[in-house]
Amino acid sequence: MSVHDPHAWERPAPRAPRPTVYGLRRLLPSWRWLGEAMWWVEHAFGRARADARPDEDTRVRIFVIASAFSIVFCGLALGAAHAALLTPKAGIGSAANPNAVARADIVDRNGALMATNITHYGLYIDPREIWDADLAAQQIKRALPRVSTSKLRRILAGDRRLIVLPGLTPQEKSAVHALALGGVTFEPEDRRVYPLDSSARHVLGVADSGGQGLTGAELAFNADIRAAGERGESFPLSIDLRVQGVLENELGAAASAVGAKGAVGVVVNANTGEVLGMASWPTTDSLNRVTSAHYEMGSVFKTFTIATSIDTGRSDMNTMFDASQPYMIGNRRITDFHATNKVLSLEEVYLHSSNIGTSRMAVELGPQVMRDYFTKLGLLDAAPIELHESARPRRPTNWEDSTRASMSFGYGIMITPLQMAAATVSLVNGGIFRPLSLRRGGTGAEGHRVVSPETSQDIRDLMRANVLRGSGKSANAQGLRVGGKTGSANKLVNGRYDPRHGVGSFAAVFPADGPADAQRYVVFVLIDEPAQGSQLGGAVAAPVVGRVADRIAGFLGVQRVADPVVPAVTQ
Amino acid sequence: MNAAVLTRQLNRLFAWKVRGIRCIEIIGVLLVAAMIFSVYLAKAAAAREGAEIADLERQIGESGQRVRLLKAEVARLEQPGRLEALSRGAGLGPVEMKRQASEDNLANLAPIPEPQPVVIVAPTAPEPAPAAEAEPAALSTGEGAR
Repeated sequence: MSVHDPHAWERPAPRAPRPTVYGLRRLLPSWRWLGEAMWWVEHAFGRARADARPDEDTRVRIFVIASAFSIVFCGLALGAAHAALLTPKAGIGSAANPNAVARADIVDRNGALMATNITHYGLYIDPREIWDADLAAQQIKRALPRVSTSKLRRILAGDRRLIVLPGLTPQEKSAVHALALGGVTFEPEDRRVYPLDSSARHVLGVADSGGQGLTGAELAFNADIRAAGERGESFPLSIDLRVQGVLENELGAAASAVGAKGAVGVVVNANTGEVLGMASWPTTDSLNRVTSAHYEMGSVFKTFTIATSIDTGRSDMNTMFDASQPYMIGNRRITDFHATNKVLSLEEVYLHSSNIGTSRMAVELGPQVMRDYFTKLGLLDAAPIELHESARPRRPTNWEDSTRASMSFGYGIMITPLQMAAATVSLVNGGIFRPLSLRRGGTGAEGHRVVSPETSQDIRDLMRANVLRGSGKSANAQGLRVGGKTGSANKLVNGRYDPRHGVGSFAAVFPADGPADAQRYVVFVLIDEPAQGSQLGGAVAAPVVGRVADRIAGFLGVQRVADPVVPAVTQ
Repeated sequence: MNAAVLTRQLNRLFAWKVRGIRCIEIIGVLLVAAMIFSVYLAKAAAAREGAEIADLERQIGESGQRVRLLKAEVARLEQPGRLEALSRGAGLGPVEMKRQASEDNLANLAPIPEPQPVVIVAPTAPEPAPAAEAEPAALSTGEGAR
């Protein structure tokens, strides 16, 4: 036996210390097989030579090593090919859209910008890099007057890099940057900017610095705006900025002229339910009165009562109503503001705004029918629109005769101006109630039928007649066939209806003639507590509607038609 | 038979040596060197283009920011409320309905043929009156005729 005897290698040498590999055997029994396998491989060549087959073993080794390298190189080659051929495609595809922003620009229906993201800069100062703190403070204060002096000095006296002022506009940044001060750095931050200032601010709402909408359209369309931003597109609203501008200017002028507490204006496309303009005055007030303020609307409700009465077949244009003396419901005495003391036709009830006439209708309708129709007109629920601010109405607690009589001329129920607009839209567009929308193109919802097309026609005729011969004369924009109903209500002050606190409103449609599916626009204007002059809707709100219609007709493509001469003769 | 010839040929090719080094190995080394060099060139070019693209993208980003800023400025300046205030300040106002007409109505608004005889008549009537000044009278009649 020699040391080269492979069969002897398996056995430990008689007195020699065990090789280190054998040490493993002592450590863990489970490693024993591993050690033995290595030992077997290690001495395979020796064994083969001992068995007189040395070439066979060499070939096996070469083959094993060659296959191992082949596998590794094949893997590398495949990886390289994959990286070379497939990755670029994925790389290009996944490249972020260069125009992507956190929130899309909001534009009006014609693409005019209403809200955008502009990179602002946070101003940071590291006082350790400032040489002359006093001089730096002076210079920065001069370049950036709105910075707080005390904060600036405190940071300059400190020993850490701190933010002095967030939200520097690019101009402010370049002004400070031009000072060339060491230790003054800027960090970009995305800010939501509303270039229109106060215009349309209630519709737009605001988004926070984290890119989430908080109010208005920013909140209502938050997900859509963010999705559009990722695609690098802008998000269009249904608002027409020209209409919005006219509405705001006319409303503001009228409201400040009469010293009103507030004012509201809405312009809606009657066919699609798109809101083209929505103004709430004063614009300094964060409350959107269009969606969130409740008013007892007054006589504009007579349109709904009369529509219900006509649609249920209880009356038609020739039905007569006795308004010769006050109408008594129990102990309650209902009188007319413009008392005529005679028997009136339906049209006269509408034109003279007879409380007696509509009260008679409401009592005759009964609670269930009136409730059904008011529900269908959306008067008992929040106005359907995307805005989260749309408030629920204050509904009556009972539907007794007296309550229904009050509701027939707009008392005892407080609704939002938007509900008023939606209900008016459904009465003039052929009788379909559609959700209002701030999306360009509307919601596309089918809507539900409220009244028949014939009733809708009658209502349009009545509204037009009211502008030609009734209380809404001052809304008659030349050639635009404006139809409308005035509303004047006293407000409940300390439990009593106080005639000094009034609300004047005007719900109008133009053009009021033409076929049922003609293009129409509903304008609703409400002046809240005018302090000077008349509080009647015909005096404060109707002229605003007339001027607004006159000015926006061109934008909306409404053709003017020569006014009929007949009404002038009947006058 | 053919295969045997081919094998022999191949063997000879593999056995061809230059100064003890197989030619096939020299060729292989040269090819590998060429490949490494070409890969280096391609990578260098790609890196240069990558840097160029990054620079262009940065420029696009900056320009985009500037465009957004300018658009916002335009929107602020063009807002209807501001324009209306400015135009009212300049003495402008909405065009009255009386002054609006479509092309079709032009003939109805101002019947052109009829005034022409009036124009001829008009200058003759005031002619005797202005004895002192001829020019203003001619002007005023012209205006009146229109």
